[in-house]
Order: sequence, then structure tokens, then C-alpha cells
Amino acid sequence: MIYLDCAATSLQKPVSVRTALVNAMNTMASPGRGGHRPAMLAADAVLECREEISALFNVDDPEKVVFTSNATHALNIAIRTLVKRGDRVVVSGYEHNAVTRPLYAIGADVRVAACPLFDCEAAVNAFAQELPHAKCAICTHISNVFGFILPVERISALCRSHGVPLIVDASQSAGAMNIDFSALSAQYMAMPGHKALLGPQGTGVLICKDSASPLLAGGTGSDSMLQDMPDYLPDRLEAGTHNVAGIAGLRAGVRYVRSRGVATISAYDRHLMTMAAGILGRSNRLHLFSAENPKNQAGVLSLVAKGIDSTLLAERLGDRGIAVRAGLHCAPSAHRSAGTIDGGTVRLSFSVFNTETEVRKASMTLLEIIKKM
Amino acid sequence: MLQYLIMCRSLTYAQRTARTLERQGITASVARAPQGVSGQGCAYCVKVSGRNLERALTALKNTNLGPGKVYLLSASGAVSEVTRK
Repeated sequence: MIYLDCAATSLQKPVSVRTALVNAMNTMASPGRGGHRPAMLAADAVLECREEISALFNVDDPEKVVFTSNATHALNIAIRTLVKRGDRVVVSGYEHNAVTRPLYAIGADVRVAACPLFDCEAAVNAFAQELPHAKCAICTHISNVFGFILPVERISALCRSHGVPLIVDASQSAGAMNIDFSALSAQYMAMPGHKALLGPQGTGVLICKDSASPLLAGGTGSDSMLQDMPDYLPDRLEAGTHNVAGIAGLRAGVRYVRSRGVATISAYDRHLMTMAAGILGRSNRLHLFSAENPKNQAGVLSLVAKGIDSTLLAERLGDRGIAVRAGLHCAPSAHRSAGTIDGGTVRLSFSVFNTETEVRKASMTLLEIIKKM
Repeated sequence: MLQYLIMCRSLTYAQRTARTLERQGITASVARAPQGVSGQGCAYCVKVSGRNLERALTALKNTNLGPGKVYLLSASGAVSEVTRK
């Protein structure tokens, strides 16, 4: 099988991730519970993962790295900390439902900083227009549908100048692009462990500039006499037993990413995306969503085949052993911005484990399929 | 052998404290704090030997990992707070 759905979940992982998972299941208990060796081994794995993540994103204190079940969980903590019913919240036009649904559930006054696809200047201008009177801003770093890299550094600077806290959804960029959290100066940054960080499913991270309101309350193995959650990170936001095996696997994934180098990975993903676009661009039945300036697009390529249902095309590709994702990708807002809300798109997304041969074969197969449809 | 317990606000804090000390050549280990000194219940501490206490406290003061209360753990298991100057 050729797996090109890495924007959803990276399937191929380093061998070290699998080894770490099995080792954790065989030897580790839960951190913050007992003081015996299996508990302390687990505690070491969890702390080391916090340290690896701190090093990768330039976080000044590993206690600001909070483990969650996934990016959605992390975003919910951040959003529910900063947003109350009726608050004005500015979001980009490319947000995932992991952002928009919590805002809807809270009853926030959501303002979309709309901009055309791959237009960074327009994105900054749209935020500038909407930020006055906002309580919070939320911006995805990379659109999960189109690979559009939003100018979060400039948007963050704008937010600071307006005194508006910013939440960055780094679901697609964590591990795929260099991010300096300290320089970015966002209030929170959320990410999954199972995409470009190459960890297992069921892992996520919230990086906090300051503390946050707990989404869950429960045991932490600390301050047990108190019925309030501890007032310090990470305990405040980590109620219940950790996913130790997952975190041990994530530690291995992050180590792999750091050893390969994020810049190298980023350049390779883009190379594969550009290669696919070059081949697929030969067909006039395909509309490819490619940035004129390649710096504005990560290793994600969406396309529409004229007259062909996107889900059907993905199914035909699946029949030929090529895994891609079709439809709205849980991001209707992004499809509204790009004008693809009616039929969605077929998305090809790449990882460091894909090869040029795979990309060539998948692209040629897609061309063959649409000729017959 | 006399041991001292440096109290920490969380397990993560205790781990970082122990690692900081180890990096400076001071043997230190993370342990559950005795219930009698756990304050709000369930706490962690860092154990150091009697001869290393002053070095450890000095090392921690030079980092951003300020030490909490310090207790003396006797061979019999009795725990008593150490008053620091």
C-alpha cells in the first residue's frame, strides 16, 4: 500500500516508536502514583518526553508541556480557558472543527478573518481588521486541507499589539516545520502526537505560556488532600492515568524528528508534494490547489477532478492500494474559504517515510483512474 | 546513613530537581514523601545523603528550581524538619 494520508495520521513510524511502546507496556506503571521502580520508570519516560518536546519547540520549562489525549483535547483546554459565552473570538478561515465546534458549544461570537487560499498578506490584514475588541484569537498554523502555511508569527505579533491572547493549532506543523514557541509568544499551542511527531494515536500536547483551567478534574498523585486541582503545571491539567505507553512512543517519535532535523523533513515533504503536483498537473481534468509561492504550502496537496466525486475517486485509489482522504476533512470552514464546500477535495499528504517512487506511482495511478471515469 | 528529603511540589519538579543535582555530581533520587510530611497529601521529594545536603541546596539555589522544605530521615524512619538559615 502507498499511504498518503499523513495529515490525518502518520502510519509509518520509526521502529524505535514501536519498541518504546512495547517496552513501556512490559516495564512501566504510572507516574505520580507509586514510588516503586515501574512507576519511576514511567515517570522518567514522561519527563523525558516533556524535555524532548521542550527542546524541539524551544519551551523554557518542561512543566509547561502538558500531555493530552489528542490535539482536540488540548484545544478544548485552551479554548475553554480563554473563551466564555458571548466573547468575540477571531479565527482564520482555515480552522478545523476541533476549533470551531468548541467555540460553537460555548456560544462565542466567532469572527472569521477570511482570506483567499495561500494569501498571507490577506490573512494578516484580515486578522488586523477583526482583532479590535476580541477576547481571543485562534489560528491554525497549516491548513489540514490545503497545506496553506498561515503567517502565525505575524498574526501573533498583531495579537500582542492588541493585547489579545493567541491559540495556535499546530496539528499539521508540529514536527513538519520549525516552531519556536518562545519567540512565537502564543498563549497556547496545541498538537497531536500521531501526525508529524510520529508518535502513537491517543497522544497530544498542549504547550502553555501560563496556566490554564482544567477540563477534567481527578487524581494527579499530588496534593491529594485538596479537592481543587493543583495550581501548578503539568498536574493541573493532567487528571487521571497517563497514556504512558503512548507517551513513551511519542518520546521516540520526537527523538527521531529531532535527529532527522525538522528543516530536512519539511523540505522533503514539500519536495514530494511538488513532485506530485508536477505529474498531476498534466491532466486538465484536475484542479490542483497549489501555492504560487512554494513557501506558503506544506506537504499537503488537495485536488478536485472535474465531474468526479471526491469520495469516489479516493475509493478507487484505495482499491488500487493508495490511501488518501476525500471529503471535507473535518474542516468545512477551510472548504468555504477555498470554494470547495460542495464536493470537498481529494487530499494527498506526505511524510518523511514516503518515497519518490511511491509518489510517482500514486500520481500516475490517479491519472489512469480519472481517464476511465 | 542519614538522608535528607528535599520536598518538591510535584513529581515532575522532583524529577527535574534530582536530574539537576545528578548533573552536578550529587547523588539524588526521587521518592514518595512520607505521609507525615506530605502537607496536602501525596507528595514527592528528592533524597540526598547527609554529606551532600549543603552542596545540593546551594546548587538548587543557583537554578530556577528553588528547594522546598527539608527533612532529616533517620535510620529508624523518624522524620524531622531541618531549619535552614
